[in-house]
This record gives sequence, structure tokens and C-alpha cells, in this order.
Amino acid sequence: MANAAMRAGTPQEAPRRAFIHSDRFQMTAFIAPTCIFLAMLTIWPFIYSVYLSLHAVKLTAMKRAVFVGANNYVNLLSDPLFLRAMLNTGMLAVTSIICEIIIAFVVAKAFVSLSHLKFFNGLRSLFLLPMMVTPLIVGMIFSYVFNPVLGIANYVLGGIGLGPIPWFGDSMAAMFSILLINVWQWTPFMMLLIMAGLLSIRSDLYEAARVDGAKWHHVLRLLEIPSIKGIVLLGIILRIIDTLRFFDVVYVTTRGGPGDSTMVLTLYAYQQNFQFFQAGVGSAAAVIILVISMVITTFAVRLLRRIENE
Amino acid sequence: MSSAKLRPRDIGPMVLILVFVFISVAPLLWLALAAFKPTADIIAIPPVWIPDFTYLQNFKDVLTQFWPFIVNSLIATAGATVLALILAVPTAFALVNHRFHGREALADWILSTRMMPPIAAAVPLFVIFRGAGLLDSLPGLIIAYAGFNLPFAVWMTMSFVRRVPKELIEAARLEGCTWWQVLTGVVLPLSKSGLAAVATFVFIFAWNEFMLALFLTTREAKTFPVVISSFIGTGRVYWEYIAAASVIQCLPPVLFTFFMQKHIVSGVTMGAVKD
Repeated sequence: MANAAMRAGTPQEAPRRAFIHSDRFQMTAFIAPTCIFLAMLTIWPFIYSVYLSLHAVKLTAMKRAVFVGANNYVNLLSDPLFLRAMLNTGMLAVTSIICEIIIAFVVAKAFVSLSHLKFFNGLRSLFLLPMMVTPLIVGMIFSYVFNPVLGIANYVLGGIGLGPIPWFGDSMAAMFSILLINVWQWTPFMMLLIMAGLLSIRSDLYEAARVDGAKWHHVLRLLEIPSIKGIVLLGIILRIIDTLRFFDVVYVTTRGGPGDSTMVLTLYAYQQNFQFFQAGVGSAAAVIILVISMVITTFAVRLLRRIENE
Repeated sequence: MSSAKLRPRDIGPMVLILVFVFISVAPLLWLALAAFKPTADIIAIPPVWIPDFTYLQNFKDVLTQFWPFIVNSLIATAGATVLALILAVPTAFALVNHRFHGREALADWILSTRMMPPIAAAVPLFVIFRGAGLLDSLPGLIIAYAGFNLPFAVWMTMSFVRRVPKELIEAARLEGCTWWQVLTGVVLPLSKSGLAAVATFVFIFAWNEFMLALFLTTREAKTFPVVISSFIGTGRVYWEYIAAASVIQCLPPVLFTFFMQKHIVSGVTMGAVKD
């Protein structure tokens, strides 16, 4: 070996160059940095979070961690605020996604039926705006519009003899307002997906259905729903993932209040970690959120692959 | 499709669309109008419907007092976009063009990291950043934002790289190009517009981010959204600042919605649905 290395010069450079030019080396160089970066951002934090969740530890004094076993999890699952956060997040996901799909379908049908009119195609961008706006600003907008004193919403409702509605003022109304904001912001997203699905239906199929005398509900059940099923399922999964990280809007509008009425999972974990510095409890909450999202992700990945291969 | 004429059965959908577009736009517009009002008009009931658009004091105030934080946002966002693309493009290229054992599993793993809620990585990230002196710094934000947008960037880039004809890549390989040369000489020029879309999406996602910045920055590196959130604290609410700052903050995403409409579907589905 030493002899080979001492026989310097060209003969030995060739294999090295061959190695550098080999597919394996080049492709590894393309992929490795991304994988290392992502592992540092996902796998390592996961392991560290699990470790912290088994300890009593303050974010301000990480060195003084005391092993407490599953205590944090036990405390968490008996904390009414955390259970409320779970319930609220689940409810928000279910109700907002159902509302979004129904409204989005109706609007998508309307846009598709007017696709021969240029003006209405242009209006689509305007309809999509809420989903692109900074979520924090969405919170600001509705703090202003739903404000009990200077809000335009109650003023307009008053003008037609309704209200005033205590938008963020009492627990029932606050949850309803958060739901309303969510639906306002994300219906355009669903609409976009459903419209892409509807546009992929060949027009001769509609024609055939019409000739056969199919009613609208036949068309809906036998033609439209099967055609948009995959893409709507994808939308549902992405929206569930979004709801698990839902934070900005509640942070500015209600901070989880009044009481615990609008507490959601990410806000709960955030407050434990960065306001009360309870890194142990906060990490346990983070691990639970992560496990839920991992289960959903498994479905999401398979689904995305399938849609892509179609 | 056939004719651009108005048909009687179009009236229903038209009314419906006008109503829903109004619902989408009105709240945005109402806060934007407030940006052109003096404080007294913002809180006036009955409301001042049409402001005097030459009143720009709110914008002047926000820009002069908070300009450094807008710059922070721009640097963090642009830096993250560049870093994410530098990492994502070669990876996407290799995942599409190189057949190796476990390729699909690796791509799926990258995708699954996109689904991870940022709060799950929050404390570990905070602890490393504190140890590495990256808290409250722009490089720290750039690393975090690039990382969280990397899976999306890889997947969406893959959907564009796949559209480059395989024959071109094979021809270049036969002529003795290295993979790097194939990437820079053949694939990049052909997927330029797609990569622009990926870059714009990453930019908007990072620009709109709030929670990470909230705990990773405290003073020096605060981003614009973090500053805006502080206008609504415990004391007086600075509506005139909120309104003007919101208009500035929303300018990039709103412009983007108009100019990149055709890429939005593929962007929000990570390239799974073609535009």
C-alpha cells in the first residue's frame, strides 16, 4: 500500500478522477447535504424532544434536568387546558374542512361554468387572495373588523337590525369566529384543488350524461365526486396538517381565550415552552402533536405518490 | 368555451361569484383603507368609508420607525430562498435522474419532513441556536427558514425536473458530460420558469412566517411580522401602524397571486397536481 502511494504521479490519479466522476460519488454529493440538513431539523429534534419530555426541566436552566419518567405525559393528559386544546383543534379541523369543501365545490362549479368569460377568470385571483395573505395579518384584519367598539362587522349588522355579536367576547362566539376566519382563509385553497379536479373531467362525459337524461345528483355522484376524490383527499390531509400548526391567528385575536375556549395545540405547546419555560411539559405536548402528524403524514405520502403517478 | 356570449343560465353563477369575491376581498380592503386614515377616522363610528388617499402619514411613520425590521425580513427571506434552492435543486435532480436502491423511500422521507409541525422542533432548535450563538441573528433565521422550506422546494423542483426530456440528458451523458454539467447545462436552462415558481413560493412562505421568528429573535433580528404583532399589546392598540404595516407586509404575496396564478395549483400541492 505504502509502495503504491509512493509511486506518485499520473497512474494513481486516474482512479481518483474516475471516482470523482462516478455516478455514485456525484449523486451522493447532490443528495447528502439536503439529507443531513433535514435530519438535523427533524430526527435530532425528535429524539431530543422525547428526552426532554421525560424530564422535569426549565428552558432557562437546561442543565438541571431531573428524570421523571412518563410524569409529564400523565400530567398533560389530566390537564383540562391541554384536553381542551386537543378537542378544539380536532373540532376546528373537522368543522372547517367540511364547510370549506362544501363552499369550495359550489364556487368551483360556478367558476368552471363561467370559464368562457374572461372577466370572471380574472376574478379568480381576487377570490384566492385570502390564502396568500400573511396569516398574522389575517388575525389583525379580523381583530379590526370584529372589534366590539370600532368594528365594521357589528356596525353593518346593526344597520340591518341584527347583532351586536360578541365576536371574540364570549366562549361560544370566539370559537365560531375562529372557525369563520379559518373558512374565510382556506376555502380558496380547496376551491383551487376542486377546480383542478373538475377541469380534468372530459366535456363529452357531461354531454353523454345529459343525453342519457341524468339528473344533477347523478352527475355529482357518478361523475364529479369520483373525479375529484383523490385531490380533495389530498386537500383534507394538507388542511389537517395546517390545523395542527394553527397558531398565528389565535395568537393575535384571542390568545386562546376567553378562558380556555379557543386554546389550540400549537399555542398550548408554545406557551408552555416559551412563556412558562416548562420545557418538559412543552416537549411532551410537542411529541404528542408530532405523533398525530406522523400518522396523518403516512397517509399523505402514499396519496401524493398515487396522485402523481396518475 | 365556444362563444364569449352571455347565456341566461350564467346569471346564477355570476351572482354567486360576485358575492364570494366580495367576501374574500372586503375584509382585506377594509384594513387597507384604514392605512390612509388618521387615527380619529380609523376608530370613527359611523365609519369613514372613503379615505383621503393623499394622507400617507401612517406609511411614513411605519417606514421611518420600523424600516430596519423590514430589511431583516427581506434578508432572512431572500437568504433562505437562495439557500433552500442551492440545496434543493441538485437533490431533486439526483432523485429524478439517478436510479438507486431506496430512492423512493428517500424521496418519501423528504416529503414527510414537510408535514412536521414546526412547534415539534421548536425547543431543540432554540437550544442549539442558543449554544451556537445563532439566537436573534439573521443567519439563524436563514438556516431555520431554509430548512423548513427545503422539503417543499425539493418536491416541487422534482416535478419540474421530470419534464426535461430524458433523451436530452442521455445525449449529454453520451458526450461525456459529468452530472454537474448536465444539471447546469441542460436541466437548469430548461426548467428556469419552474424554478422561478419554486423560488417565489419559498420566498412567500418564509415572508409569511411568524411563530419561529417570535421565539428565535428578540431585538436585533426581529422580523416585520413580529414587530406588527407587538402593535396589539396590552396597552393602546396602534391601529394606524397595524393598517399601514399590514399593507406593506401583504404587498409581496398579493402581487404574487396576480402574476403567478398559473403556478399556484402546483405550488400548494407540492407539485403533485400539474398546472
